[in-house]
Amino acid sequence: MPNIKLQSSDGETFEVDVEIAKCSVTIKTMLEDLGMDDEEEEVVPLPNVNSAILRKVIHWATYHKDDPPPPEDDENKEKRTDDISSWDADFLKVDQGTLFELILAANYLDIKGLLDVTCKTVANMIKGKAPEEIRKTFNIKNDFTASEEEQVRKENEWCEEK
Amino acid sequence: MPFISKDWRSPGEAWVKTGEGWEKKKVLENCKSITFCKRENSEEADEKENRVANVDSSSTQPHCHITIKCTKEIAGFNELDEAVKRLDFRSAARDVRRSNYVRALLSLLVGRNTTALSGCAQRALLATLEEVAGHAADTIHDPRSLRRLVDGLRSLRAAERGACWGGPLGSQILWHQHTAKIERILNTVAQMKINEPGPEIHPKLLQLPEECIREIILRLSDHRDLLSSAQACEQMAAIVGEQRVWRELTMFHFDQQQIDLVMPKDKENVDWKSVYHSLKKSFGINEDRMYAEMLSLCRYCRCLFWRSLGHPCIADQCPEFRAKLQEAGGIAPPSPVPPSAFLKFFSL
Repeated sequence: MPNIKLQSSDGETFEVDVEIAKCSVTIKTMLEDLGMDDEEEEVVPLPNVNSAILRKVIHWATYHKDDPPPPEDDENKEKRTDDISSWDADFLKVDQGTLFELILAANYLDIKGLLDVTCKTVANMIKGKAPEEIRKTFNIKNDFTASEEEQVRKENEWCEEK
Repeated sequence: MPFISKDWRSPGEAWVKTGEGWEKKKVLENCKSITFCKRENSEEADEKENRVANVDSSSTQPHCHITIKCTKEIAGFNELDEAVKRLDFRSAARDVRRSNYVRALLSLLVGRNTTALSGCAQRALLATLEEVAGHAADTIHDPRSLRRLVDGLRSLRAAERGACWGGPLGSQILWHQHTAKIERILNTVAQMKINEPGPEIHPKLLQLPEECIREIILRLSDHRDLLSSAQACEQMAAIVGEQRVWRELTMFHFDQQQIDLVMPKDKENVDWKSVYHSLKKSFGINEDRMYAEMLSLCRYCRCLFWRSLGHPCIADQCPEFRAKLQEAGGIAPPSPVPPSAFLKFFSL
């Protein structure tokens, strides 16, 4: 199997199997466009991902390399937030900062599966919480004025009764 | 002719200590976990069994045989506490995939009517509930369903205190244990605290690009979660206000036929939020789509099991039976058992 070198934003290089690297659509199209099939010792720079996160992403991709490709349609997405495999659940037992960095990296590298499972994890953190608890969980500042808040609340009450 | 049961040459039964007390188990089904227990003495036997299930899932998958048509005569044999123990609800409470189902079941079971259940069943349920509360305190997962459970628990406590003639009977010692356990659970829940991420943690949710926040919000499957995230801050409110969010929520919960019924004639500007709410009002939310993992019922061996863990099925063990099934048109998949259907097996 041919390998490929990926360079993180802080300069560390990782040597990865091409097949594993290709689960990132960004890298895949890059390789196809540039035609880097021959034996060139080329390094792919990834300026948006630091080494700690890149290591985790490669770890994830290596484990999931034999997964069937996700369905293409964007609508009708899987919404069961608890549908996370136990390996992924353990893999994502990280602090919030790392979790969000993984979302950013998955979004940048265009890895559908990783984006899905990280977003589900965050959605799970929102699930069942009151607005105040959500704010607290993610350290969000309440930027509503008192009257706006009242209005939103009333609107929602009306929904519940309907 | 004397009746010789299937296990007439089994080596008999052994007493095994579990989290809820001592329990009689067939030596055969249990021998693996016993050998395992001898090696490590640090934790409860119950938990070791779970670990064995992980190590060698073909030997002790949690499953439970039941009689499907529950008549008055059968009811004595379909025991809820056995099902709760055998299906390993305690470790399921800590599993991401199964915990929502366990919570839904508990919220149906725990309440004023719990006093009508057998003492063993009550104990098993409270033990599961304690596990759920302990897990929730660690992870702050879904406080809303936890609050519902706690309300049920309070009314159970009230029912117990109001015991008089015709009230809950049974062992007084058991009730004392229950009261202590209920106190403990309520305490755990009361002490639950959300840890705010410190300033050194970076990036924060709102620092993500909008498309990432949208991806997260699109994965919420409950409209109440959408509404409360809309109330959290303006940026999320803007995303939740988008038609796409409500359209996908509607598509997820209802099928096209149902949607066509309430669709307004003017297809140009549909308000998907009101479409969702009117569908919810007329059809209700389908339980089947809410849980990642549900208990399933095997049609052949009449056995309840967790779908991802599987069970020792007669169709797998006996090739002749399997061949017959294939002749008859293939093996039917196990049917899912939503929480309300689970209770029917025990005539509750």
